[in-house]
Amino acid sequence: MSAPKTIPKDAQVMIQILKDMGVTEYEPRVINQMLEFTYRYVTTIIEDAKIYATHAKKSNVDADDIKLAIQCRMDQSFTSPPPRDFLLEIARQKNQTPLPLIKPYTGPRLPPDRYCLTAPNYRLKSIQKKVAPSAGRISVPRLSVGAVSSRPTTPTLGTPSVQSVSTKVGAPVSLTGQRFTVQIPPPSQTATTKTKTDDSGQIYFFSIFTNNPLCLFLFVSTATPSTPAVPNVLINPSLIGSKNILITTNMVSQNAGGESLKRKHEDDDDYDAL
Amino acid sequence: MAAVQGGLVDAKDEIDIKTEPTADGFGNNNASDSRVLSTPPGSSAAAGNNKPAAGTPEEQQTLLAVLQFLKKNKLSESAEILRREAGLPEDALDPKGTDGTGAGPGAAAGSADTDAGDASSLLSRVTVSSSAGAQAPTKAAGEDQPDVSVVLSAYSQQGDPALYEVYYSGLKRFIESVLDCHRAELSQVFYPLFVHMYLELVYNNHESEAKAFFEKFSGDQECYYEEDLRILSSLTKKEHMRGNETLLDFRTSKFVLRISRDSYQLLKRHLQERQNNQIWNIIQEHLYIDIFDGMPRSKSQIDAMSGSLAGEARREANKAKVYYGLLKEPEIELPLDDEDEEAENEEGKPKKKKPKKDSIGNKSKKQDPNAPAQTRIPLPELKDSDKLDKIMYLKEATKKIRLGSDNLPSICFYTFLNAYQGLTAVDFTDDSSLIAGGFADSTVRVWSVTPKKLRKVKTAADLNLIDKESDDVLERIMDEKTASESKVLYGHSGPVYGISFSPDRNYLLSSSEDATIRLWSLQTFTCLVGYKGHNYPVWDTQFSPHGYYFISGGHDRVARLWATDHYQPLRIFAGHLADVTCTRFHPNSNYVVTGSSDRTIRLWDVLTGNCVRIFTGHKGPIHALAFSPNGKFLASGATDGRVLLWDIGHGLMVSELKGHTDTVYSLRFSRDGEILASGSMDNTVRLWDAMKAFDDLETDDFTAATGHIHLQDNSQELLLGTYMSKSTPVVHLHFTRRNLLLAAGAYNP
Repeated sequence: MSAPKTIPKDAQVMIQILKDMGVTEYEPRVINQMLEFTYRYVTTIIEDAKIYATHAKKSNVDADDIKLAIQCRMDQSFTSPPPRDFLLEIARQKNQTPLPLIKPYTGPRLPPDRYCLTAPNYRLKSIQKKVAPSAGRISVPRLSVGAVSSRPTTPTLGTPSVQSVSTKVGAPVSLTGQRFTVQIPPPSQTATTKTKTDDSGQIYFFSIFTNNPLCLFLFVSTATPSTPAVPNVLINPSLIGSKNILITTNMVSQNAGGESLKRKHEDDDDYDAL
Repeated sequence: MAAVQGGLVDAKDEIDIKTEPTADGFGNNNASDSRVLSTPPGSSAAAGNNKPAAGTPEEQQTLLAVLQFLKKNKLSESAEILRREAGLPEDALDPKGTDGTGAGPGAAAGSADTDAGDASSLLSRVTVSSSAGAQAPTKAAGEDQPDVSVVLSAYSQQGDPALYEVYYSGLKRFIESVLDCHRAELSQVFYPLFVHMYLELVYNNHESEAKAFFEKFSGDQECYYEEDLRILSSLTKKEHMRGNETLLDFRTSKFVLRISRDSYQLLKRHLQERQNNQIWNIIQEHLYIDIFDGMPRSKSQIDAMSGSLAGEARREANKAKVYYGLLKEPEIELPLDDEDEEAENEEGKPKKKKPKKDSIGNKSKKQDPNAPAQTRIPLPELKDSDKLDKIMYLKEATKKIRLGSDNLPSICFYTFLNAYQGLTAVDFTDDSSLIAGGFADSTVRVWSVTPKKLRKVKTAADLNLIDKESDDVLERIMDEKTASESKVLYGHSGPVYGISFSPDRNYLLSSSEDATIRLWSLQTFTCLVGYKGHNYPVWDTQFSPHGYYFISGGHDRVARLWATDHYQPLRIFAGHLADVTCTRFHPNSNYVVTGSSDRTIRLWDVLTGNCVRIFTGHKGPIHALAFSPNGKFLASGATDGRVLLWDIGHGLMVSELKGHTDTVYSLRFSRDGEILASGSMDNTVRLWDAMKAFDDLETDDFTAATGHIHLQDNSQELLLGTYMSKSTPVVHLHFTRRNLLLAAGAYNP
């Protein structure tokens, strides 16, 4: 242990607490983490207590306010598992039903689709492009990829389709997901004008995940469209409840031509933009 | 008693109870009801004193008591009404005899007739208890009033806090003075008594007395209770108790002790001849004494079995019949040459039906009486791919090395480098072709152990292009371009604590601190389902050996049985007092074993959800469990570094393997059950001779009436080898189909 005079008093107290609780081996960062937690917890409690005190029209915060604050906070964040008799009761009820029989030969045995994470979690906007090519701008499908709120997902692109696909799949989870839309800025190309209705472009995506699903970044880039070839969107097939892999075509019909491609924010009303 | 604190207790209940014939003082065997009011101190002292069976004088006393209470709390109108209805005379309300209510109620009540002198002296020494209101301690008054306070004290704690130390020391002195053979057994009483008395003091807000009590006696307790005592020492106020579910459960559940009849008689006689029935009351209320006839157990025997949070297991808890045999394998003939594989499959199918018909009813040598029926629980039928797998399995099994004490397995250690202490779970597939690791950064990574790379199924675009009619379509659907040695699976939002491959290698399960269990497809390497049910971290999960079912255990103290196609659990196994840290299936998929932080292991029946076995004996949370391949035995490892072997059929401990110096995190039996390998935090893998350990078993006569076990201290003989790694704790062990031992851990410099 380094010289006491270089360690702040709070840290010394924390070291003593750890010693009293029998924790003898720990990394030095633990002290910082514990102090941070303590500070945050105490500040939250005191702030709550202050609110209660003002609500009760008291000028000072007293012990009752603190007690109330602690109690409310305990019920909210530091919940403990249900009591034993409650668990025994629900176990008794659950265990009374016989085990369900297994249907033979039904392919991968998964719950109903709404409880699975196998559905696409985005939909493609179809952009009606005018035939007249003006600046030769190539329109590109805008992919809205959202982590649907309240469900942990991996952004597997499922079957893209032009019509809107319901993306609210999965039973609610306590994660606070965020939904965001990625809009691909249309590359202003000075390439040859196009009169085709097809678009070409390869869309690659990398997904960089951090520990926290709240930060889900999707980086989409478009390659230079060269020829009006068959559009090729690389997607992963999704197994939707059947033994066969769902093989879909991936025609993404787009119109070349530029000025219609405005960022149509009003279309994204039903998704929160990040 | 907690429920009785500080409120207006329903007087009527008290009256009803008191009019029941007083239960036999040896109430432990039948006092199974948990109603606090059912053990009023008055009736419990029946054995000691010739207390009259509850009749009108008792009722009178009770009414008087209630009346006094009401008056004290200035509820004059209610008091008036009660008085009128009960027909009590005016002067009965004389508050003359308000004795200290903390007296040993049983002693006082019983002694009202005969030992009034004693009672009054006892009463006069006692000070007021908090919950019964402020009643001034006075000298014992006339005979009509002492019972009032006695009755009232039924609603308060047992006795004066200051006297707890006296009672405890008294008991200690007594136990030290008994014969050696009884001393070990009676010493079992110390720990639960200490904890309950301490908790009682804390619950009634006697903080300083609680602290003094703790300081004086905590050093006497057994060393293996040290962790619990440390937790207790931090509990000094009533509010602290509220959040601690484990301790609340401890308070409400009964601590089980197994004591021989002779020792028990000794104890009872001592506690009842004195007036300190405090201890007797506490014992009756909080302890369940499982009496057996026979020789008292020795200290070592007791030490072996004790250590759990709730004492030992009652004998009848381990009496249910357990079908520990294996299910019949479907008969698939091992083909002599490879081309006949397909043909054999066809024959395999109808043959499977035959054994079923044979086994109904007749005890031919095919049907194991200890095996569950094939249809006891619904199991998925074998698909063609499963049959192919089985054939591969049988082929490999013929090349299996026979292990033994003279032929030890080679060990191949897979070390995870650069994991930075983040490796939290590992699993191998059964054919040892894939290894998966769960990490604290919430990722799951899968590696291929063989040179064959991991391939995903192609994208929909490419799948469109392949020739669906070709023979090797199953190869063509795999994408060669993204083949790699390892794949990462993202999705969890917390460290991944449990991981399990499905037997058919199609799925991977992972359980995490984010309270979900995720099912991943190993063909597309994406997440398929998230199973939500636990609201707290899930510490372990495992697929059933037949696939389709899986279990999970978590911080909410239950284990759940799921099926992959149900989004809710099928069974909930509740009963543990603390987190479920380890869950394993029995080889016949009909039973599930869970190890917990409350230091017990429970075996559950999948069909009914009932707990059929409770194994106590570990002194720390259990982290490793393994069934022997024949399904008869169970090995368990915990933080105390011991590996214990259990006989499931009889419900007894077979032997104790000492040697590891740190937590045992992994256990595995070899493919034929001859060798048990254990891996631990002390960076070693140890091999034990399981064959020898179980051999002695066959000859012993397990009457199991007394549950005595004579554990030989033969750990050294059973230890076949110790293999050290270079500062890599062993997290997982796996025997390949040819009996090569694979071990996995993360390098921890």
